[in-house]
Amino acid sequence: MSSHREAPEISKDPVADSTDVYAFVSPDKPDTVTLIANYIPLQGPAGGPNFYEFGDDVLYEIHVDNNGDGRADISYQFRFTTHVANPDTFLYNTGPIESLNSPNWNRRQSYDVAVASGFSRRVIGTGLACPPCNIGPLSTPDYAALGAQAVHGLGGGITVFAGQRAEAFYVDLGSIFDLGDLRPFENLHATFGLPGLKAAPGVNATNHLNVHSIAIRVPISSVRRSGHPTIGVWTTASRQRVRVWDADNGENVDSGPFRQVSRLGNPLVNEVLIPLGHKDQWNSLPPSDDKRFAAYVANPGLAALLPVLYPGVFPNLAALVKSGKPRADLEAILLTGIPAGIIPGFQNFTGPVQADMLRLNTSVPPTPAGKQSIFGLLGGDAGGFPNGRRVTDDVVAIELRALAGVTYPLIDKTFKPDAAAGLLTDGLTPASVSSPPLGQFPYLGVPYSGYDNPS
Amino acid sequence: MPSQDAMRAPGPEASGSAGGLSRRSLLQGAATAGAAGLAATALGAVASPALALSPPGISRPPAPDQAHARGKAHAGPIVVHVRDARSGDIEVFSGTSQSRVRDKDLAARIARVIG
Repeated sequence: MSSHREAPEISKDPVADSTDVYAFVSPDKPDTVTLIANYIPLQGPAGGPNFYEFGDDVLYEIHVDNNGDGRADISYQFRFTTHVANPDTFLYNTGPIESLNSPNWNRRQSYDVAVASGFSRRVIGTGLACPPCNIGPLSTPDYAALGAQAVHGLGGGITVFAGQRAEAFYVDLGSIFDLGDLRPFENLHATFGLPGLKAAPGVNATNHLNVHSIAIRVPISSVRRSGHPTIGVWTTASRQRVRVWDADNGENVDSGPFRQVSRLGNPLVNEVLIPLGHKDQWNSLPPSDDKRFAAYVANPGLAALLPVLYPGVFPNLAALVKSGKPRADLEAILLTGIPAGIIPGFQNFTGPVQADMLRLNTSVPPTPAGKQSIFGLLGGDAGGFPNGRRVTDDVVAIELRALAGVTYPLIDKTFKPDAAAGLLTDGLTPASVSSPPLGQFPYLGVPYSGYDNPS
Repeated sequence: MPSQDAMRAPGPEASGSAGGLSRRSLLQGAATAGAAGLAATALGAVASPALALSPPGISRPPAPDQAHARGKAHAGPIVVHVRDARSGDIEVFSGTSQSRVRDKDLAARIARVIG
């Protein structure tokens, strides 16, 4: 849901479909930031014999804006190459894969990394090995070790990883997309005249599913400008303009310049705020063009729906929606960053340019594990979303509560949020994710194996 | 703009081999016709992408392969997209480059090839 299958066109192209972006000061190395972009949503771990892999024909990028114009000042570029050792077998592997150079591993990927800035482009890594997918105890008997081998130091304090990981984003997709139902509150749902529902615990639809992650950890000093501690982060995937199916050779032929087909900064923006008819266009544009979509943030449809779906639960929100006042709180959170003076001791404002970027004030130190709130800033924890985004942040609850009006008093202290607004949740927590995050880079958990998660 | 000679397809007698541009090879493997145009590919042809466009998207820096585009642009297929046969609006793709020309004559001849 964060951005899984969020737009009509990209939902047909999962290899290029970005699902989540994370950006945080690395907890175990606080002079660095970790940037993660996930792709290929909702992977069933047993999806063989052709297990999931990055697209050789896709240009993956993680961008950093450090001057607030919504354009990339630094772009980390990733290109993948698939290698097949023996094309005369259908097998992904012919025996246990116990290391990244195992001769038993028949189909593998490597990648190159480059840093583009201005008109310069510098290759900083070539032929870097991805780990295999997690197949099962016979094929990948020690997957954690394989994953660790795929962490590459590139010099200059840069570390990268690209490969399969456990989905860390938790969300009750099955309920939410059933007409905005939140299981813990479904007894209050309007139900459209259908039989009433009883409140129930949330169900994590993404549990036991995998994604493909691109993670890079870089020195903070290399991405931020002097005196401007806040960076804007987003990911894009691009394809060449032309694709032709070469029937004689049974392969696609790509040609032409790369054009953006997928974009993701803040979670849920394109998914929930941008109307269906504009989602594909949104995916093709840079954040600097987001002013044209700002009205959908200032007057979000979901905020208007909540009082309808839950009659009598959100009277103050209903009045706010009816007033037609623009949601300057949401515009700040999602499009400009939060200016100084709104939240004591905190700001991640990048300037007046409205651009959907994950804004991270890199001068805020990581919150110790025991003191973190999964509700981030809403929970009084400036180390979490919307100051960047950590792997465990409950972005669904945070954004639901913000949409419901919890953050509106930031710009209008006379507004009193409805009691229910501060309680909204789909009923999930990081404990709803069976494969826990790692304590070290790349931080996302070990992917689920096909053997252990066959359905 | 690419020279007209460079863009001109040889006569129908040419073979469809990878080394030459013929009407048959121009169409081989790629007859993608959109609502507003025609598309065709040719293998190993000789068009000159003189008007390669820079991406207008988020990354002002060139895409990775574009750094090498001019050196290897003609090693792979060339794809011709006739956006509008009537006005002769044609796009030519090769490697990671793209050119756009207006050539009514060429567009008309390509259109005739596919009937």
